[in-house]
Amino acid sequence: MRFGISKLAAKTVKLGLRLIGRGATTLPGKTALKFDPDAIKKAAEGKFIITVTGTNGKTTTSHMISEMIASFGDYEVINNISGANLASGIATTLICEKPKTDKKTIYVLETDEAAFAKIAGSLKPKISVVTNLFRDQLDRYGELTHTRDFIASGIDKTSAKLILNSDDSLVAALGRGREDRSLFFGMSKESMTYNNKTYPSRKGVLKASSDAVYCPECKVKYEYNSRSFSHLGDFYCPSCGFKSPSTTYEVIYDLKNSPSDEGYVFEIKKGEEKETLSLKIPGMHNLYNTCAAVSAVTEMLKLEGREEPFKKACKASSEVKAAFGRMEKIDLSGGKKLCILLVKNPAGLDRSLSFVSEAHDAKSLMFLLNSNIADGKDVSWIWDVDFESKVDQLPKKIYVSGERYGDMLLRVNYSGKDQKDLECAPMADAVKLLKKAVEECEEGGCVYVLPNYTAMLDLRGRLVSELGIKDFWK
Amino acid sequence: MSEINLTIGHFYPDLLNLYGDRGNVLALYTRAVRRGIDVTIKEISIGDELNPSEIDIAFLGGGQDNEQNILKDDLVHVKGPIIKNMIEDGKVFLCICGGYQMLGKYYLEHDGNKLECLGAIDIYTEGKKERFIQDTIYEIELPSGKTVKVAGFENHSGRTHLGPSVKPFMKVIKGAGNNGEDGFEGARYKNCFCTYSHGSFLPKNAAVTDLLLETALKNKYGEDYVLPELSSEIEDLALNKALEYLNG
Repeated sequence: MRFGISKLAAKTVKLGLRLIGRGATTLPGKTALKFDPDAIKKAAEGKFIITVTGTNGKTTTSHMISEMIASFGDYEVINNISGANLASGIATTLICEKPKTDKKTIYVLETDEAAFAKIAGSLKPKISVVTNLFRDQLDRYGELTHTRDFIASGIDKTSAKLILNSDDSLVAALGRGREDRSLFFGMSKESMTYNNKTYPSRKGVLKASSDAVYCPECKVKYEYNSRSFSHLGDFYCPSCGFKSPSTTYEVIYDLKNSPSDEGYVFEIKKGEEKETLSLKIPGMHNLYNTCAAVSAVTEMLKLEGREEPFKKACKASSEVKAAFGRMEKIDLSGGKKLCILLVKNPAGLDRSLSFVSEAHDAKSLMFLLNSNIADGKDVSWIWDVDFESKVDQLPKKIYVSGERYGDMLLRVNYSGKDQKDLECAPMADAVKLLKKAVEECEEGGCVYVLPNYTAMLDLRGRLVSELGIKDFWK
Repeated sequence: MSEINLTIGHFYPDLLNLYGDRGNVLALYTRAVRRGIDVTIKEISIGDELNPSEIDIAFLGGGQDNEQNILKDDLVHVKGPIIKNMIEDGKVFLCICGGYQMLGKYYLEHDGNKLECLGAIDIYTEGKKERFIQDTIYEIELPSGKTVKVAGFENHSGRTHLGPSVKPFMKVIKGAGNNGEDGFEGARYKNCFCTYSHGSFLPKNAAVTDLLLETALKNKYGEDYVLPELSSEIEDLALNKALEYLNG
């Protein structure tokens, strides 16, 4: 009865918000939870749920999983809208989003790490993916080991199959004591070793501020046989022996070509099976996200009793297109393109910089930095990132805007970029500056725009009102 | 090779690297290199040898609790006595947040647990539940007698109190400062400068970067050494934009 009222309240709020032309991604769920604290548990009952958590790649990975499952044609997929990944957003999705067909529905939910601890027991997901753990707005979320403990406490309230990143020591540790239900995905260790030797990475003045350098149990520095990027790699603790687990799903790659280019070809191997894939959303980090998605979809198909699940999952990965604020390219006149890459924490910015420094079409670059509550009030994270080793490969001219453009301008300048190659404007003139960047971009080139969260929302709003660009981000 | 050279000792960069701490090292590096000074950055972590004569400016940042616990033994018991001597000898130190607290006598956790620290400077810290997390503005008096505004960001639950031999580093204009009570931020003892300010602290505050560089180079090349002029146009723009932003 209580849940009935709660559902009704949620739907009424949603209808109300829609009527006044507002998005309704979290308030209906918030209302439902007020009427009935068990609303999520009741709404989740009997549903096939896959959760995706971790500090980076949640949206992209959930998006990949959703598109892949939808491409089979015999499932309907429901997921929460990017950003609405707290309890309220998930309650909204479960209560208000009704299947439109009579096909079996799979719910793919990206879940905030702290929210996961609270609601995993109610969701009872069949499959839980943990992408990675990087420092992320520490002023909001606290320490990384706490984040890991949050996820662990959530996991223990479920019997979900765990899909864990073998190359991230913090994530891999979640498999300890849960061996019977843990599967690992990551880079092939041989592949990493080969690439490390063949294509050594560039060094900057100062190393990036790194996470998880030491084994939290032994306080001894991890050793690495090989690395992909940041703290991800084939690590081992010389003291307790904890090491990067062997993978069930692994990426075989060769950096002879760049994963920053669309259509990069690589393989995913599962035991004796091996499939060739083309990377639909570029970026080295998306090799991980794709592998995580293929793992999750294969496991889902297995639970469903389908034949050749791995082969089907790999094939489905070719159906994926870019997600909201992640690698989506917009065509402009003169064969020019605009690509917005959301960056919200050091790992994300590092990956995007690395991506832009390698992308062949990157002819212009713009940063937008805000420091509202949703971004984290502290802008110091931009200094944790190693710009220095990449600056020579970035486009010559760099444009800077956002409410904290002064901080970003200085950050780029201190990376070694000459002041004369920098141009800045306050947020109010962001579109004007972007137009200039587009004008000055060479024909056929792409202007990459790297905003953080509220800067991206603000920029989108301005592009609609000032340029009449419609919902290109979907 | 330039005649003037400078070595920055970056302590525990693999553990003390929160909230853009590396920006401070980058600021010292950049404003020295732009003046034609040869700069070496030396990483000194757990188990690494510490040779005071090799270092002109020492930098200690802040870390997560887990990380700070890992290095405590090495800092307090192995490098501690050497660091104490370096500070007494007038070596330039910049210590931020956790680095600041660890130089003091002790840290009293809010549950009453007392953590012994280095005891290099006469300060102590008491942990409280409520954290100070906000943008900050301070004021600092330079050796020239000129007073300048400085922008930062604080994020700490410790309340630090200074003993009689230690002077406050800055005056609080906006923010909580050392303890939320006395209106001061940070500590200065001889040439050891400490602050809670992240931000990163130095990049936007070129006057402070230059103060540290000049102090270190005077130490090394004699009192007559004068730091060459260098524009701080872009740093000042960042500072003024930050001040504007903070003042709404």
